[in-house]
Amino acid sequence: MEITCEVNGQPVTVEVEPHWLLADVLRNQLGLTGLHLGCEYGVCGACTVLMDGEPVRSCLSFASQVAGHQITTVEGLAVDGKLNRVQTAFINHHALQCGFCTPGFLVTGTYLLQQGKLLNREEIREALSGNLCRCTGYQQIVDAVEEAVNQQSANAVECE
Amino acid sequence: MTEQAMRPQFMGARVKRVEDPRLLTGQARFLDDIDVPGMLEVAFVRSPYPAARIMGIDTKAAKAAPGVRAVIAFEDCPVVLWQKDAYEVGQPVLAHGEVRYVGEPVVAIVAENRYVAEDAAELVTVHYEPLEPVLDMYRSIAENPRRVHENASNVFFYKKYTTKGFDEAFPAAAHHLQETFRTTRQTAVTLEPRGTAAMPDPASGRMTVYASTQSPHRIRGDLAELLGWPENQIRVIVPEVGGGFGMKANTYPEDVVVVWAAHQLRKPVKWVSDRTESLLTDVHARDDIHEVEVAFEDDGRIIAIKDHLMADGGAYPAYPFSGAVGETSLASRVLPGPYQIPYIETEIHCTYSNKTPLGAYRGVWGPIASFVQEGIVDRVARAVGRDPAEVRRINMIRPDQFPFRNAAGMVYDPGSYGESMEEALGLIGYDTFRTRQTELRKEGIYRGIGISVFVEPTAMASSEAGSVGYESVFIRVEPTGKVTAAFGLGPTGQGHETTMAQLIADQVGVNVEDVVILHGDTDSAPFGGGTGGSRSGPIGGGAALVAGREMRQRLVKLAAHLLEAAEEDIELGNGQAWVAGVPDRAMTIQQLAEIAYTHVKRIPAGMPIGLELVARYQPERSVSFSNGTHVAEVDVDIRTGMVQVLNYVVVNDCGRLINPLIVEGQIYGGVAQGIGSAFLESLRYDEDGQLTTTSLMDYLLPEATDVPRMMTKHLVTPSAGEGGIKGMGEGSLIGAPAALVNAVSDALEPFGVMVNRLPVTAEDIRQWILA
Repeated sequence: MEITCEVNGQPVTVEVEPHWLLADVLRNQLGLTGLHLGCEYGVCGACTVLMDGEPVRSCLSFASQVAGHQITTVEGLAVDGKLNRVQTAFINHHALQCGFCTPGFLVTGTYLLQQGKLLNREEIREALSGNLCRCTGYQQIVDAVEEAVNQQSANAVECE
Repeated sequence: MTEQAMRPQFMGARVKRVEDPRLLTGQARFLDDIDVPGMLEVAFVRSPYPAARIMGIDTKAAKAAPGVRAVIAFEDCPVVLWQKDAYEVGQPVLAHGEVRYVGEPVVAIVAENRYVAEDAAELVTVHYEPLEPVLDMYRSIAENPRRVHENASNVFFYKKYTTKGFDEAFPAAAHHLQETFRTTRQTAVTLEPRGTAAMPDPASGRMTVYASTQSPHRIRGDLAELLGWPENQIRVIVPEVGGGFGMKANTYPEDVVVVWAAHQLRKPVKWVSDRTESLLTDVHARDDIHEVEVAFEDDGRIIAIKDHLMADGGAYPAYPFSGAVGETSLASRVLPGPYQIPYIETEIHCTYSNKTPLGAYRGVWGPIASFVQEGIVDRVARAVGRDPAEVRRINMIRPDQFPFRNAAGMVYDPGSYGESMEEALGLIGYDTFRTRQTELRKEGIYRGIGISVFVEPTAMASSEAGSVGYESVFIRVEPTGKVTAAFGLGPTGQGHETTMAQLIADQVGVNVEDVVILHGDTDSAPFGGGTGGSRSGPIGGGAALVAGREMRQRLVKLAAHLLEAAEEDIELGNGQAWVAGVPDRAMTIQQLAEIAYTHVKRIPAGMPIGLELVARYQPERSVSFSNGTHVAEVDVDIRTGMVQVLNYVVVNDCGRLINPLIVEGQIYGGVAQGIGSAFLESLRYDEDGQLTTTSLMDYLLPEATDVPRMMTKHLVTPSAGEGGIKGMGEGSLIGAPAALVNAVSDALEPFGVMVNRLPVTAEDIRQWILA
């Protein structure tokens, strides 16, 4: 079957089998290998992408389900070739080691950023608890997301 | 100590990682991202039985399935992973005649893609005749219910060691206590599963193997030996690796089958493990029992420890080393930890069973031995009615005792044992804790503090990951003055491209962004042992310093000649060479490099053309000990048995730091794994030998909400090796489980609880409280 959707701001039409997973189609058909498969049943969060702005597990979604929707992957987070706030904060806080889980955290973190709310560390931990990381112990990830989300929110308040 | 760069600008600085941009934008290439036209994929048919005879394999339907290119059994690929000088048996890469653990690969299907391969795997029928599985360590030692391997004893490693004078000292002590400590199987669970891809190189005819491994040269050597090919016909490339933690230090059956299939089919072939396969077949770890007796005096001084160590090595020795041997033999030698316990007697039994082979997981012996050692100290403290910190002070090795030879003959180089503990106790507010604890108990809140003072043997001349005690660096100052250096290391997230660049930049006098670090390609890297056993910083970093220094000397010689100055007057830095005190008499390193390669008549007599060299470094000491103290503060909910970690302090001493940002990342990550080890992670076999924890919904990893904010502090006791660097990749996981479970014991002191198992679950705690 043929599906049409928007991926990272670009219209895409792709021929898929009904049982193909969104994760596999993004990786294999569209060459977007930034999302990773760490469990294939929705626990680890490494395959998280945004669908119409909401985080979804691409390993639990069929490609056929995203027809007509907007998908954002880690490749689509940088704006005009510039890393977004969450990505930059990840460098500054050494929030990644092996980097395999990182795309999922960045997508979730960017979702939090886009909500525009001030979050405390406990709320950030809760919000990130659907993404597993084996290397960092989460501390520097929480530091990075805290900085990115709260800087943005603080700026938004100032603008008002 | 050897003289370092005149002004280390980058070593010790919080340099941001050069690896990050590609990883943050989805551009990094992990193993499953390797894709070339015509690439085939593999799925394995695995044993559903822990022990069974194979009576027949019917592959007809699978072979006939559309898209299937090959169906492979042992008869086709008769390779055995067998380290013959160490073990009586080896593992056939595909089961041969008998299966010995659930998940053992039996048949490989090579097909157009993974979907087709997995569907075809369902069409293979294997006729099994089940056998009674060997599942219990004590029974296995007695060869019951049977031998796992008909022609080999179940006990595949035995060792006994006694300190001279033990037999007199042990009974003479005033008090004795006994405990059995048990650790349950755990495993590394790298977020990126294992995988291998192999493809004949169309240009050279050689085999290119992409391997998700910690040790590129080791796996190349293993493949060459096992397949009978010359080493130079194999090129191993290690792409981005999504975590290793010791688990990716082995060569696995699947690696061999994939390479063999690519060779036979003359096609690119790839296999990537799914999570179920990972939990079933990645090497397991920590399946150990310690039966301990301790002799001590009235004041808490520990006189002697007697320990019977047992480890279940699983069905085969993992290749090329068994984790059971690694866990027990090193534990037996470092069991006294940071304490001056004069006598020890250890007896080790490593056994076969019908379970997954035991290999390495970060810390290997350490998390087990620290848990036993710190458990002993807390038990002695409770027995003599003294504070656990006080009993540690009484037994602690003093600074004036270094180098200290422990009761098992291991020699510790200087460390900050007592100082680290005092610092950590200060940071957590230990002085006032007991008062707070008493007050809280009146309110029904059971809060406890656990102390864990650890030693971490690092930079071992021969670690489990590397068969060699040295590391090598090929370094080249390019004609443009930029620097390229290649290593035999196998980083899996530790940031070597940054830390090694820092060390080299200081020596050569360039900026860190002007240094490119290569690794993981056996065609470009000089022979090296790889990454594991906390060796990359001290040994790989040591080699970086030596290589950088040798290159520096060459640049200085060239600059002195061209600037008509004495070599001792030449300074290097910021991409420049100049005469000390006369900054105008300067050349850029780019100018020097250009002359070295293209205007070679200007090179001084006797100096080689170009700026390239290989340097190797092997530390003089066979091991260098890092140390530190973890203190955990927890609340135990006595109604639910749930533990909450409230505060956590780490005071760490790994000698001179290369990059504190990266060291702290290693510490935080290790403590989180320690929380998993202490409370969550457990690979459980049922009474039939089935692994019942084959998903991440059953095998629980710590989430962001399980880990507290940690506080760290660095102490610096330099090693005697290059740069004063000690290793530190494992220490945080060595120290953490002991601190955490001791905190639970402390919280539950009113109930007389002393935790004797890893992990300790809410159910355990409830049972102890009710008992």
